[in-house]
Amino acid sequence: MSTTGYNESLLDHEAREADKPAARRRARRRPEPFTVASHIVVTLFGLFCLIPLWMIIAGSFTDETVLARQGYSLFPNPFSLAAYELLFSGQSLLNGYVASLFITLVGTILSVSSTASLAWVIARRLPWISRPLTVFAYVPMLFHGGLVPLYLLVTQVLSLSNSWFAVILPILLAPFLVFITVSFFRQLPEEILDAARIDGAGELRIFFQIVLPLSKPILAVLGLFYAVTYWNEWFMALLFVSDPDKYPLQLILQNLIANVTNATSLPGATAAQAAAPVYQLRFAMTVLTVGPILLAYPFAQRFFVKGITLGATKG
Amino acid sequence: MTRNFSRRHFLALSGAAGLGAALAGGMPQAFAAGLSGTSLTLLPSQAPSNWKAVLDKANAALLAEHGFTLDAQFINWSNYGQQSLLKFTAGASFDTALQALWLNMAQLQQSGSLADLTGELDKWPNLKAQIAPKLIEANSWNGKLWGIPQVNSAGRVQHFSIRQDLAEKHGFGEIWDFDTLERYFYTIKEKEDGVTPFGIGANSTWVLAVPTPTGMFNQQSWEDPTRMQYLFAGSGLRFLLAKDAATTGSSKPIPFWEDDGVVAALRKIRKYHEDGIINADPFNSDSATIQSQFQAGRIASIWSMTDGLASNQLVGLRKAVPTASLAQVVPFGKPLSEVKPVQTFQADNMVVVNANGGDVDRALALQDWLSVKQNHDLIEYGIEGTDWEAAGDDSLNQLSQYAFPGYALLWRSALERRSSFMTESEKAVFDWAQDYDNFATDTFASFIPDVSAVKQEAAQMNNVIIQHANPLFHGLADVDAQLDKLKSAADAAGLNMLQAEMEKQADAYLKARG
Amino acid sequence: MQGKAVVPATRRRRPSSPDGLVLLLLAVPGIAWFSVFAYGPMAGLVVAFKDFNVRDGIFGSPWNGFANFRYFLTSGDAVTIIVNTLFLNALFLSASLLAGLILALMLNEIRGSLYRRFMQSTIFFPYFVSPIVISIMLQVILSGVGGSGGALNNLLSVIDLPQLSWYTEPGAWPWILTIVKVWQLGGYTSVIFLAAITAISEEVYEAAAIDGASRARMALSITTPLLLPTLGVLLVLGVGRIFFGDFATIYAIVQDNGILFPTTDVIDTYVFRSLRTIGDFGTTAAIGLFQSVVGFFFVTAAVLVQRRFHKESSIL
Repeated sequence: MSTTGYNESLLDHEAREADKPAARRRARRRPEPFTVASHIVVTLFGLFCLIPLWMIIAGSFTDETVLARQGYSLFPNPFSLAAYELLFSGQSLLNGYVASLFITLVGTILSVSSTASLAWVIARRLPWISRPLTVFAYVPMLFHGGLVPLYLLVTQVLSLSNSWFAVILPILLAPFLVFITVSFFRQLPEEILDAARIDGAGELRIFFQIVLPLSKPILAVLGLFYAVTYWNEWFMALLFVSDPDKYPLQLILQNLIANVTNATSLPGATAAQAAAPVYQLRFAMTVLTVGPILLAYPFAQRFFVKGITLGATKG
Repeated sequence: MTRNFSRRHFLALSGAAGLGAALAGGMPQAFAAGLSGTSLTLLPSQAPSNWKAVLDKANAALLAEHGFTLDAQFINWSNYGQQSLLKFTAGASFDTALQALWLNMAQLQQSGSLADLTGELDKWPNLKAQIAPKLIEANSWNGKLWGIPQVNSAGRVQHFSIRQDLAEKHGFGEIWDFDTLERYFYTIKEKEDGVTPFGIGANSTWVLAVPTPTGMFNQQSWEDPTRMQYLFAGSGLRFLLAKDAATTGSSKPIPFWEDDGVVAALRKIRKYHEDGIINADPFNSDSATIQSQFQAGRIASIWSMTDGLASNQLVGLRKAVPTASLAQVVPFGKPLSEVKPVQTFQADNMVVVNANGGDVDRALALQDWLSVKQNHDLIEYGIEGTDWEAAGDDSLNQLSQYAFPGYALLWRSALERRSSFMTESEKAVFDWAQDYDNFATDTFASFIPDVSAVKQEAAQMNNVIIQHANPLFHGLADVDAQLDKLKSAADAAGLNMLQAEMEKQADAYLKARG
Repeated sequence: MQGKAVVPATRRRRPSSPDGLVLLLLAVPGIAWFSVFAYGPMAGLVVAFKDFNVRDGIFGSPWNGFANFRYFLTSGDAVTIIVNTLFLNALFLSASLLAGLILALMLNEIRGSLYRRFMQSTIFFPYFVSPIVISIMLQVILSGVGGSGGALNNLLSVIDLPQLSWYTEPGAWPWILTIVKVWQLGGYTSVIFLAAITAISEEVYEAAAIDGASRARMALSITTPLLLPTLGVLLVLGVGRIFFGDFATIYAIVQDNGILFPTTDVIDTYVFRSLRTIGDFGTTAAIGLFQSVVGFFFVTAAVLVQRRFHKESSIL
């Protein structure tokens, strides 16, 4: 586990190193070595993530010849919008945004509500119910029927071809997230629930009026993870949506990048396609994928602040 | 499946065909009776920019002439193989699709998913006029035709596209022979800082050594381009068959590493790698990356095929290097008029008709309609005046971004137009490749090895080849040591069974051929 | 376990049975979805025991017993590949969980500032970078475009160390891939832990502060033990998938570089490579089923161990 060792030794080392200057800076309060170390480690890891992010953004604006020469770029020079022009030309992306927004919004709402309610039933450890349900929800994490049966199910049994629900339904529940939620629910302070029961609240009321409001952080995690999944989903759309006007954004981008990277050696491609900026396009595609999510993430973060204090027990 | 694409040229070369039966005669039949509905076709890539307008125009004409309309479902290249197989498996309803041996054509044919087209062409005069009898013969499997071959030249010959401007800068004229080409590589390495003399991507590696009928760096095959390689689909193991098989009647297949010419080529590639002639990172470069670097002026020569596409590189290249020019170096060491390389005349791509849920007459009516120049031009190049304009009889200027995957529906060599900026050098090679008489037919031209008896061995061999042979093809390992590893791994994976089965089938083919 | 503030879940009062039935209503959408979309298509698993052909489809193709399983299990590489799969997955799982845990603990120290939010977004971002872009960036670092050296080699030569041809050094790759996984999943995993941290009562920390505990002490003795259940769940879920290789990342990075196979080839990449042209659904399904069954045994074992030693965090 070299990474762990790395982090830990870095932690100790940096903590010792950083102790002195940090102490001088914040002389008013005794600085906690661990807090200082945390700032340093998080910052270092942040840089470890930020530098590639910057390279990708800068690369997406850099002329292809420079990228082909060195593979990256720290400053977009010469500046070029070629990749974005290509991405935004051709098929209108507006329809794609509409489709993606619909799939993400409707899908996330359906997913979060069904995941949370199923997880609560499992978390309650009901005799004869919770344990079988655990197994029932776990098995699909390991066993998959494969593509062909799913295709037959959606197109022939459910007749969902060309519908956005054909994209949402097959990935509606992630067993992984069900169990993460179960584990969170089981950490909720029991006193609150007991208090409610003494007040005569029914199981459904407890769930909707006490458990859910207390669980905002995990609901935010669920919302974030599901939204990310739906926003990035293109394979289900490839399988089940055949009308190009209904393609979600990611499928349009996916098609474009597949065709452009193949265009160089494909008969039938125009010369302009053969000269498409391959590196630049891959970077620009990452930016377009990440952009909206990074904008949405701070909203989800609002719920990660300390939500539960025991003050809530009084209620 | 995502890898299918970059392999298409190469896999196609290895293709084989069934015993041909010339479809002479045949009764012209009354048609157009009872055709209706929509002929749906599965196509790779995505809808061209102006597709709706083009389709409307085409459908108006089709409806009037034949009583049905055309519709296309485009599936992007990276997913085409998987998705089209899925649609066949799920019994989806469509008329035609692109298939090929490098996709799943053999599998689909064996399971009865493809309509038998033997003899059908005779009913369709326009189509028949555009498909050479030789092509039908070579692409029939055991005398049966399972798809309509889509080609834009008679022979397919791999060669080099080189930066001629760099050649001239360093005092080279036209390059013909291997030794001069080698000198060109070393001169570039020495004098052009930061330029790799030759670049090639992953997956296309064996073409450097194994004859098809020439290997790019197989000097022996340059002098004697008379052998093709054959393999069981999916095994990766290329066999060479005895040169005198036609007279002796025995094929005596040997794995490629037992051929002196191939081993010499492997040693040369190793040397090129050590001297920095070939890009050092072939495993990490796909063909798009290589093309991108070629267009940025970082690579002096790349692999090309006689498909009329080589000059397309100039558009991007001239943005980076305004004075750049390209020349094609064909691996024969002498003028094209003096060589007659062997070919199998196997088509890379076939249009197949879906046997369960497709309409054979409608599919062929469409193929026939697309064999008329005017209709062909409309679908392949778009609306004249808006998307393209004619430049001479057989060339065009593109006016828009309209790009249609013609090879998946309507390639007819005589009707294909060339881009107006095709270089003279490429024109010469491409023209030469159009004539069947410029090539000899390989002894085993229509031989398709049937993998079903040795499927497991083939799948395991595929891994052995990727793991142990690819480093050799790239020059990344010491030749003798790596050959030993390759041989013992191949033995363990069932080389004997594959070799024996290949011999059995090839001999049977020879016998049947008479 | 320091969790005085949290009543262990096992002591929960169980609801009376009519209430239990009402509660069951909540599970109906989930049960319905699993039945249709997860268990429905599982009928397709029979193809693992069939000689599949396209025309007859999954249910019409003839049975062929265990023939499809033979291919993988009898191949000479099976042992290496299974060992690689287990070893790499164990590395990835432990490294990314530890990184996520440490990051969450440390992010938790950075309080209420814009800086924390910024960092949280930043470390989450690598999760979105596609494997192909990761592969390009690795090449820039390790070999340079066109194999011309690479950033790391330039660094090595500056400090007078010999340059290495990384893409022909199999020994280094388990560690390189692990670093990639930590980069990719560290932030993502930390989000899960952060959510769990918010469930810890503030009063526990206040009490500890009064006792004079340092922040490090609190992180180690209060937060970490309370995160154990979450860690346990993540670990068990990961153990179940331990026989499935991380196909997308490994394949995008290693591609068909046979020189690296001895240390990087896992079941999924091996199967994809050997069957991509033959495209046999039966064999592919058989190997998938084999992975699932083995995974099932692993996870059962893990759950039993967990119930024995740390019952509170058991998912059952």
